[in-house]
Amino acid sequence: MRLLLVEDHVPLADELLASLIRQGYAVDWLADGRDAAYQGATEPYDLIILDLGLPGKPGLEVLREWRAGGLATPVLILTARSSWAERIEGLQAGADDYLSKPFHPQELLLRIQGLLRRAHGLANQPQLQAAGLQLDESRQCVSRGAEVIELTAAEFRLLRYFMLHPQQLLSKSHLAEHMYDGETERDSNVLEVQVNRLRGKLGREVIETKRGQGYRFTGVSG
Amino acid sequence: MKSIQRRLSLGLVGVLLVVGLLLAQTSLWLFELGLRRYLEVGLSNEAEGLLVSISRGSTGLQLEPQRLTPSYGRPLSGHYFRVEAAGQVWRSRSLWDHELAKPARPGLQQALVDGPQGQQLLVLRADYRRFGQPLSITVAEDYSPLLSSFRQVQYIGLGLGLAALLLVLFLQRLTVRNALRPLEQARQQIAQLQDGQRAQLETQVPEELEPLVAQINHLLRHTSDTLTRSRHALGNLGHALKTPLAVLLSLAGRAELNAHPELQTTLREQLAQINQRLARELARARLSDEVLPGAQFECAAELPGLFSTLALIHPRDLQLSWQAPPGLRLPWDREDLLEVLGNLLDNACKWAASRVQLQISLADGRYCLWVDDDGPGIAVAQRDAVLERGTRLDEQVAGHGLGLGVVRDSVEAWGGSLQLQDSPLGGLRVAIELSRGARAAS
Repeated sequence: MRLLLVEDHVPLADELLASLIRQGYAVDWLADGRDAAYQGATEPYDLIILDLGLPGKPGLEVLREWRAGGLATPVLILTARSSWAERIEGLQAGADDYLSKPFHPQELLLRIQGLLRRAHGLANQPQLQAAGLQLDESRQCVSRGAEVIELTAAEFRLLRYFMLHPQQLLSKSHLAEHMYDGETERDSNVLEVQVNRLRGKLGREVIETKRGQGYRFTGVSG
Repeated sequence: MKSIQRRLSLGLVGVLLVVGLLLAQTSLWLFELGLRRYLEVGLSNEAEGLLVSISRGSTGLQLEPQRLTPSYGRPLSGHYFRVEAAGQVWRSRSLWDHELAKPARPGLQQALVDGPQGQQLLVLRADYRRFGQPLSITVAEDYSPLLSSFRQVQYIGLGLGLAALLLVLFLQRLTVRNALRPLEQARQQIAQLQDGQRAQLETQVPEELEPLVAQINHLLRHTSDTLTRSRHALGNLGHALKTPLAVLLSLAGRAELNAHPELQTTLREQLAQINQRLARELARARLSDEVLPGAQFECAAELPGLFSTLALIHPRDLQLSWQAPPGLRLPWDREDLLEVLGNLLDNACKWAASRVQLQISLADGRYCLWVDDDGPGIAVAQRDAVLERGTRLDEQVAGHGLGLGVVRDSVEAWGGSLQLQDSPLGGLRVAIELSRGARAAS
């Protein structure tokens, strides 16, 4: 999962970055509204966390610009302005959720998880479930029936992405774009290794290889 | 204050009456003066005619009756004379038994003299010498027909004058009403301002009203600017404090602090208190008791947005609905009302099993706002405690906590009432009753 964090308060951004990366998200961080308006619309993010009080361009304007340009990425607004009038304004501008400062970091993580599930049509699930597997995002492990399988951070990230896109054909470059932030070197061999490791833990049939096209997550029952 | 219309009418009537009477009376007087002068000529001709008809006879002076005008012979004809010469007095036959006194001075007499049969006589005395003897001839003419026709003219003039006055008053009323129409428009616009249907007065007004309208508009702008500015300042303060608070909260959750749980707990508690205090005071300070023009709460415009927001915040299977009379506006600030309704509905959504309903109604100038849910509700005995608890800041209650406190503050500031009741849906009904009068009085 690749996220864009737009927040101009550096200490808060540091905290959020650390906590998001611990949760296995690839995060790009921007502090200026104008940069965000451009990068948010051009890079394939899975979710955007947007502060409203931004230098350069107000957050709401950035959001309106994205939505006018047809960007469908879920946007979570993070703001100190917590009145209902502002909340309604934010959601009417096209936000998908609204979290007012100060907030518990855990709350933000839950909202992000919920938003990602909702964006992929998996609403109303306490845990991410797909194709017979159940992913515990806080403990970063997966269970198949009663069996609990531990995962490394990299495996967890990959599996979460697969589980949010069940039955979809995902090319290696697509996966790489969504697994790594903008700064990291992308190496498709690493991806192959991780796919194989997941197959080793969950069974070969879980991830199907379409030669020359990419992978497809079919799950244990599929 | 007297009405401008009445004041103008009174002034106009006064001026018209004084000028009209003065003009009518003066012209009548001048006319009479001219008439008397004309009659004077006639009378002195008569006197000269009489003088000519006096001749020296055998017994001294004598008046030759055959040379007299016949009207002197006809009794009470209105033409009379009296001639005095050398101790002799001749009276016209027409005088009959009336005695025409000789005026004290010669010339036309200013005052009319009573004649026979109630006639009013205009009298001229002329003195001559003839045949070496002094002669005093007094001629008189009945003036009463002229007097009565003068009176008639006066009556007619009075009637015409009154009619003209009424016509002028009527026309003046029309003119004044037309001239004052812009004032009435301005008054209506100010009423619309009060209702929040407009933010500024129309500037296309007559020259005389322009400064007033400009001043009112300036004041309106000033007030709204000041309010917006202070709200912005508060918002900025909140923003400035809340972001560091978010950092601190995040730091308090760090793994390094897990080794010192009591330190972590204290940190979290204190931060939560700062946050609650901040939120509450910000909400209270920005609560405006004056409704900003043009910022009223229009149900049909605001409620759909609020409800779609609620549906987003509570993505479970809830049936959210609202009812309000079409076109209803609540004459309170929209942001404050959104805050109240948002908090109440948010609470209701948290507790409801499947349905949340908002009903807004208006009866006798009182606005009723009902928020119903079909959740567990609150026992009657605990309701006061819940309301009370809502106002206490150090209490951490999920749901009916800070939100209800903000609601209470707003409702109190508006002079309304807040009650917790049983809902027909089975859960809790929060009933708010507001009236405009109460707000104006508070």
